[in-house]
Amino acid sequence: MLGITILSEAYGTGAISISFTKVLGMTLCLCLAALAMDLVWGYCGILSLGHFAFFGIGGYMIGMWLMTARTEAVVRANLANRIIPPTEAEISEATALQIFSVVGAEDWPWMWAVSDSLFLSLLLVVLVPGVLALVFGWLAFRSRVTGVYLSILTQAMTLALSLYLFQNDTGLRGNNGLSGLQNIPGSTAGQAKLSIWFFWASAAALGLAYVFAAWLVSGKFGNIVRAIRDDEPRVRFLGYPVEAYKLAVFVITAIMCGIGGALFYPQAGIINPDQIAPIASIYLAVWVAIGGRGRLYGAVIGAAVVSLLSSYFTGGRAPDVNLGFYRIQWIDWWPVLLGLGFVLVTLFAPKGLGGLVDLIVRRKEP
Amino acid sequence: MSALLEVSGVSVSFDGFKAINNLSFSIGQPEMRAVIGPNGAGKTTFMDIITGKTRPDVGQVLWGEENRSLLKMSEAQIARAGIGRKFQRPTVFEDQSVRDNLRVALKKPRGPFAALTDRVTDADRARIDEIAEEIGLAAHLDRQAGILSHGQKQWLEIGMLLAQDPRLLLVDEPAAGMTTEERTHTTELLRRVAETRAVVVVEHDMDFVRKLNCRVTVLHEGSVLSEGTLDHVMADDRVIEVYLGR
Repeated sequence: MLGITILSEAYGTGAISISFTKVLGMTLCLCLAALAMDLVWGYCGILSLGHFAFFGIGGYMIGMWLMTARTEAVVRANLANRIIPPTEAEISEATALQIFSVVGAEDWPWMWAVSDSLFLSLLLVVLVPGVLALVFGWLAFRSRVTGVYLSILTQAMTLALSLYLFQNDTGLRGNNGLSGLQNIPGSTAGQAKLSIWFFWASAAALGLAYVFAAWLVSGKFGNIVRAIRDDEPRVRFLGYPVEAYKLAVFVITAIMCGIGGALFYPQAGIINPDQIAPIASIYLAVWVAIGGRGRLYGAVIGAAVVSLLSSYFTGGRAPDVNLGFYRIQWIDWWPVLLGLGFVLVTLFAPKGLGGLVDLIVRRKEP
Repeated sequence: MSALLEVSGVSVSFDGFKAINNLSFSIGQPEMRAVIGPNGAGKTTFMDIITGKTRPDVGQVLWGEENRSLLKMSEAQIARAGIGRKFQRPTVFEDQSVRDNLRVALKKPRGPFAALTDRVTDADRARIDEIAEEIGLAAHLDRQAGILSHGQKQWLEIGMLLAQDPRLLLVDEPAAGMTTEERTHTTELLRRVAETRAVVVVEHDMDFVRKLNCRVTVLHEGSVLSEGTLDHVMADDRVIEVYLGR
């Protein structure tokens, strides 16, 4: 952590570029989402393939404030030289036009009602994923939808949300998404410093979430949640309201994902509906499976390793491999490699990368 | 002695097959009862109905002094009302230690918030130790439940049942897979438990039932064929015909 700061452009030698700092910061946010995925799947046995939707929602919620505040500042600067000072209504109108002309609209959609308030927007980062998970989970768990059927249902949820957002008239700028999120309104710090700040904020969020998750699974709550994963009917016959426990885990993890997304997208700079396509949530499950589910550090390791490798192989920096008769271009072949890795881990190392820790521990104490 | 559990006129069918046919049954507290019957007699379905896993097509299941109907309650609510169940196959949480298995079963508030703030009190610890002593697992409290022997898992599940502190225990084949000494110990334990609670034991093994020394209910094709002492039912011609085989 300190090493990254020392090597950064803003506070150190500049050996690590701004963009790489951002990649690292974003990776930490993905680790946070993987941590949530491990809680809900690895510990509670709910294979949700929709948790990245909550991540995206978190991004959209903070994105609305970022875009509004930033655009308003630009509009104010443009209108400042006019002889008659602009009214607040004029500024609001001009801001809306600026943001929504790309989808052929000029009025504020209802969704943006609180986008001028940072505090309320931050509240929405927590509330919207939480309430959505609460309603969805309540309906699904109450009807005892489990296993693969629940996974399909969560895929449907994230797909529906993504398709909804793709429409231009739903208020979140359709497939243009929200952009320019890297510019933090009211800050003159510049990207070099901002990237380090967000890196630290992401690290702090991940650290706090890890401690929270560890506390959650260490006590009796954790015992019950793991028991639900292993034998749900048995827990019911012990008198536990299984649905309430599953709902609690589902909502808590959705909120964790929302917070992760709210930190991720200001570093990414742009969010669009493609981000919450069903495949994103499946990747989340793949990371946790490769890292080793049922152990918190496994999820973090899995997400970090796979997403960093992923950005290496798809970022155009990995050299092509020339086999003489065929050139392996990693952009095309990375998904194949990842898929193979997933299958191999599932078949031969069901404990994932986290299982390596077991091997080391066992070797130390024979 | 008023009835603790009163099952009357219950029927349930699966795809036209009548698993339970106009069955009536009642048990008081304290009482021990053995339920026997050939395969497919409806013993497990009978337990499923009491514990809320299966809903009967007709009939009533009334519980306790206030005669509450169990048919409108969920499995968890029925368990909280005081009915504990031990399954035929031992189902313990294999991934967790014996101590944690008992801790989860221990009678305490069942909500998520209660679980989050739960601390193991001295009383809890004493109770867990006491149960572990009773089921012969005191030396294994910190071992994973998954590496226990089959008999020990049966014991642990009985221990979890005790930890729940139910008023009625439904015990499905408790002696399966146990050695002779373990069986003797199980018999003693169940008889001691039945001094204060109601215990229903489903069992195939006639020797075991004889040692329980209690009233016996014989099920056949989903209804009660005969009821009384073991000697009484063994002398019943219909029982001899369908169960003991002639």
